[in-house]
Amino acid sequence: MSLPVSEGRNRAQERQPAREEHGTLLEMAGLSRSFGETQALKSASLVVRRGEIHSLAGENGSGKSTLMKILSGVIRPDSGDITWDGRAARFARPRAAQDAGVVMVFQETLVVPDLSVRDNIFLGTDGLLRHRRGRRQEQADAVAAVNHLGLGHYDIETPLWQLSLAEQQLITIARAIVRPWQLLILDESTSALDLGQRDRLFAYLREERARGKSVLFTSHRMDEVEELADSVTVLRLGATVARLDRAAISSAEILRLMAGRATAQRVEEVSHARHVRPLDGPEVLRVDALALRKTSRPMSLTVREGEILGLAGLEGQGQVEFANCVAAISRPASGTVAVLGKGGGWHRPRGFGDANRYGIAFVPRDRRREGLFGAMSILDNFGFGIYPELSRLGVLRKAAIRQRFAEYADHMRLVYGSASAPVGTLSGGNQQKVLLGRWLATGPRILVLNDPMRGVDANTKEELYGLMRSQASSGLALVLVSTDIPELLTLCDRVAVFHEGSLSALLPTAGTTDTDVMAAMFGQSTEVRDDE
Amino acid sequence: MVETRLGRWPVGRRIDISRTLLISLIPYSLVPILALIGAATIDGYATKSSLVSLLILSSFLGLASLGQTFTVIAGGVDLSIPAVIGMADVVITQLDGDRWPFWLAALVILAIAAVIGAGNAVASLALRVHPLIVTLGMGLIVTGGVLVWSHDSISGSVPQWLVTSVSVIGKTGPIPIPAIVILWAALSVITIFMQRRSRLGREIYATGANPSAARLALVRSRWALISAFVVAAVLAAVVGILFAGYSGAADDTVGQPYLFETVTAVVVGGTSLLGGRGSYGRTIAGALIISQLTTLLVGFGFGPSMQEVLLGILIILLVIIYGRESHVSTRV
Repeated sequence: MSLPVSEGRNRAQERQPAREEHGTLLEMAGLSRSFGETQALKSASLVVRRGEIHSLAGENGSGKSTLMKILSGVIRPDSGDITWDGRAARFARPRAAQDAGVVMVFQETLVVPDLSVRDNIFLGTDGLLRHRRGRRQEQADAVAAVNHLGLGHYDIETPLWQLSLAEQQLITIARAIVRPWQLLILDESTSALDLGQRDRLFAYLREERARGKSVLFTSHRMDEVEELADSVTVLRLGATVARLDRAAISSAEILRLMAGRATAQRVEEVSHARHVRPLDGPEVLRVDALALRKTSRPMSLTVREGEILGLAGLEGQGQVEFANCVAAISRPASGTVAVLGKGGGWHRPRGFGDANRYGIAFVPRDRRREGLFGAMSILDNFGFGIYPELSRLGVLRKAAIRQRFAEYADHMRLVYGSASAPVGTLSGGNQQKVLLGRWLATGPRILVLNDPMRGVDANTKEELYGLMRSQASSGLALVLVSTDIPELLTLCDRVAVFHEGSLSALLPTAGTTDTDVMAAMFGQSTEVRDDE
Repeated sequence: MVETRLGRWPVGRRIDISRTLLISLIPYSLVPILALIGAATIDGYATKSSLVSLLILSSFLGLASLGQTFTVIAGGVDLSIPAVIGMADVVITQLDGDRWPFWLAALVILAIAAVIGAGNAVASLALRVHPLIVTLGMGLIVTGGVLVWSHDSISGSVPQWLVTSVSVIGKTGPIPIPAIVILWAALSVITIFMQRRSRLGREIYATGANPSAARLALVRSRWALISAFVVAAVLAAVVGILFAGYSGAADDTVGQPYLFETVTAVVVGGTSLLGGRGSYGRTIAGALIISQLTTLLVGFGFGPSMQEVLLGILIILLVIIYGRESHVSTRV
């Protein structure tokens, strides 16, 4: 298995010879935390030394954010110990963490556009009636902070809306570093920065490291981790799986640990068992020079009859936008999506209703908010797709609708009491079946699904996989977003991986491992294969 | 231990469902209960003339609340109903004074009402403002417009048959019941059928139940909203025309009690103000409850103020009970 690794920055040149160890600043052990049924952290541990830049790596949902929020006092752990500066600590509130010297920069750019640079930097530090530090001191601190981050050319009285998004993100970092800090936490704080700004920030972090301060950061970009981190902690499914020291850091190793040996094996087995179907049907969907955002690289691909195309990516990398563009729910920045009409001509749908007329059906991600009518009956929830077809002079043909429902309920093995019971009384998996049935009953040519297995129990998942495969073998093309890589590899023919709004890789699933997909998610692969 | 728990689960669930059923039967059972209380405590409550007059009151309220049921199920509310009732009442009388044929005048009024209803829905959609605000404004425009048009001097009367159709001694052909009651019954049957069996009827529910899901389910939400408000305005105009026969004089304020009474009939029947749940059958029960309760309270010697107090208590009590029900069944 070879990993497509891009030309990273030369690591050796960045790393200085091992400095003397300053001892442990932070140690977290045996941390667990649940949110309802979901166990976000199981047995996480983390050690950050004085004067080191430490990276926290893990997939979406591995528990990174939860761990950082516990550290900054935003949420409390269910169990586990925190040792700060050699003493047991409890960061019960954000203020307690800040007083200890932990400052965090959140992923979202939290700024007030109408306030000045200075006021945004000191947002939240003032007491009720007075500035905590004198006006003059504030002035000096703010100027120093913006200078560190390369924004020295701005007057600190400039209103923030005049700054670019990247500069606004830097202001949130400035807000953290004007406080007296020992540990700076950066959660995806480099995502909006350009190369120059990033290098400037990294230089600053290295200066502070030399002063004995510590940094904890996450990044979706493996090259940044390789370049900056002195050590890395890898989280998987809420547990710490490894702590890598400088010498052991490589993106291949981190990705392998993030994916986990067990998963890799499972996929291996499945791909052996997997029957690779020849896809020789006609093309039904053509995506041409499509740019999802203004900054995206244009992408082109085609989907054939009976193909299952998976869409993967870390949160917000463009995979959902792509699904929405295919269903004509949203518009791309440029480029076209064309669908094969029943008459054999190609059409560019102008909106969702238009797309639906050409045979595109869409199952949204959030069943409760965007899919189902909770108070209405199972029959109604199933029926809205076929009501236009099965009504005469506006009156519904109840018998025909009930019969169609019975067929699909049987086919999908829907577990229900009465068809007139509210759909809200069904389990999550059965609700998803109703929603799928609504669209399958309309006989679409292309079915677009946004994370259809979310909140579905394991057994129902298997049933739904079977259903999707059988629909595909009878000619339906499926385009589905999923956050579950093994699921994509077992279910799909090809997986399109998105990174920063562009297609990062288009991988045939035969012979692909989850590490390959993950590497592409982190932008490590520029290999885009299309069978056109 | 495990067995007990497993054994208790289905039982607990059955109790939940039967409680839901029980709560949904409250409005329907209140109607005969109030009738029995009336018959037992008030002399002459059960006589034919008393019952017919009760039915006439209920018909006015039931017809005015018909469209309100649609707008509430669609997720809105129509506050311009009283203004449209007043408009129809004044205009039909005025046009009669101007020697217009009755049917032509009635058709013109219904057409104006349809335009008002469509205007409510279109303005709400186009401006992305809740119908509550749009219809409040529309009500003021209509009331003001009528006063400007009629110059405060309304003269004319309505045909005698219209008066008979809403009077206690009225007959509908061979049936010894006034026409308004028959009209209400006929429209009720059509409405209930339409809500249950027509595509548009179901789409009105879907629009109110979950607007964003409705869009992705290709439900014709705009059309659903427009038809709900057109029905509300047209039925309000019908009530206004009938009122001209009932009161015998034109009065633009005649519809005012129907602002709260239509909403009350809808809510007391058990249709949720959040939209998507309920039915006209429930509103019929609601209308019968309100008119009976009013009659009873008058019979007990309560003045109008005390009637309002007690009606308010009833609404709050029922909404508390219904709130529990919806909590169980809208859980997704």
